Amino acid sequence: MQGNSQQQAYDRGITIFSPDGRLYQVEYAREAVKRGSPTVGVRTPEGVALAAAGRTRSPLQVPESVEKIHEADAHVGIGTAGHAADGRRLVDVARREAQVERLRYDQPVGVESLTKAVTDHVQEYTQTGGARPYGAALLVGGVDGGPGGTPRLFETDPSGTPYEWRAVAIGGDSGGIRDYLEREYEEGLSLEAGTDLALSALAESGDGTLDPEGASAATVAVETGRYERMAPTTLRDRVEELGLDAAN
Amino acid sequence: MNGQPDPLAGESSAGGAPTYSTGTTTVGVVASDGVVLATDRRASLGGRFVSNKRTVKVERIHPTAAITLSGSVGGAQAYARQLRAQARLYETRRGEPMGMDALATAAGNALRGLPVSPLLGGVDADGPRLFQLDAAGGVLEDEYGATGSGTQVAIGAIEGRYDPGAGVETAAELAADAVATASERDTASGNGLVVARITADGVDLREYDTAAAVAVAGDEEVVN
Repeated sequence: MQGNSQQQAYDRGITIFSPDGRLYQVEYAREAVKRGSPTVGVRTPEGVALAAAGRTRSPLQVPESVEKIHEADAHVGIGTAGHAADGRRLVDVARREAQVERLRYDQPVGVESLTKAVTDHVQEYTQTGGARPYGAALLVGGVDGGPGGTPRLFETDPSGTPYEWRAVAIGGDSGGIRDYLEREYEEGLSLEAGTDLALSALAESGDGTLDPEGASAATVAVETGRYERMAPTTLRDRVEELGLDAAN
Repeated sequence: MNGQPDPLAGESSAGGAPTYSTGTTTVGVVASDGVVLATDRRASLGGRFVSNKRTVKVERIHPTAAITLSGSVGGAQAYARQLRAQARLYETRRGEPMGMDALATAAGNALRGLPVSPLLGGVDADGPRLFQLDAAGGVLEDEYGATGSGTQVAIGAIEGRYDPGAGVETAAELAADAVATASERDTASGNGLVVARITADGVDLREYDTAAAVAVAGDEEVVN
């Protein structure tokens, strides 16, 4: 009984290690991320594509109100997975950091610097008593150095560790989607092909179909160095053309 | 003088006690392959007493950038330390040195409210740059500039003689000449010169007794 209550204590406080060196609350936060719908990022020489599937719980819900992909600054987009509210807070951390960089240095923030500002913030919540970790993961995609610059794609996880990827998925069924990306990803894709790959990968988690109503996508092209959200009509056409819609 | 604190008003004081003021002539000149910063070596109390004859008023704050100090010595030195810390932190965190635009913005931000009017010169991937900063946080880019009590004399010595295509050695001679000319007439400037030649290779900081010595290799003391 006593042993049992002591064992339970390891997952009560996030600041407490288990005897084998694990932080249970951080691991539970990772589980929270897996419960969300997936978000995919693909980096190509022409830019970065982000795409997300979303669930509309009722035909009465306005699909655009499910926000999975956000503009962090003119040259960076962020895709979220997991607790939507936690994700929004992290997006705001990134947005603030992007403006702090402009105030401090009068330059657009680097994608890596921005990611690390977010992960440093996330890490703080794995070490602070009385707080809980963020139940959200992010994909931070953008172009460094303005038009003609370098495309970068990073992942943040609830432990506060940054990872850089060529193609990656977070959220529900991200394991299966990552397998798909590992099979299908090629170096030297066009940005359009990269976007198609991201959409196809999302469909992989939905039995080969993707509901264009709940889905969203955005790109940051090397040519312009700017974040651009894909219009819902364009997205629907793309999904149909790829044969990913449910009617197919 | 352009809203800068009057460097001759040495009585501007910390708690009523007189503070060291550099009085000063500091000059910056952009060359084709670098930028030159040059200053005199005199520090004075109230512009009336020479309190130090070997003041180095150019400080390296970045691998390829430096500032000149004019105004309150204590304020200027603290400001240089601040900027150096910011530039180092930026570089260690990101694995690349700060660009000149970022450095100039940070320098302007950190300057606000300080009784200091520096020049910032440096070289980055886009080439050599020179900025004139003021106490309100103003950042003005130019090809040549001067600050301190000898400003008007020094700038007159450069005006009409500046050659944007000249190399760093020619620019060093021009800058040194401007400091020497100002030292002839400005009582708060004098006691030889310090010249920094800043190129993509780094900041080369040297002391000279006369402007003529700047053109002669070997007639100098290396500061760093």
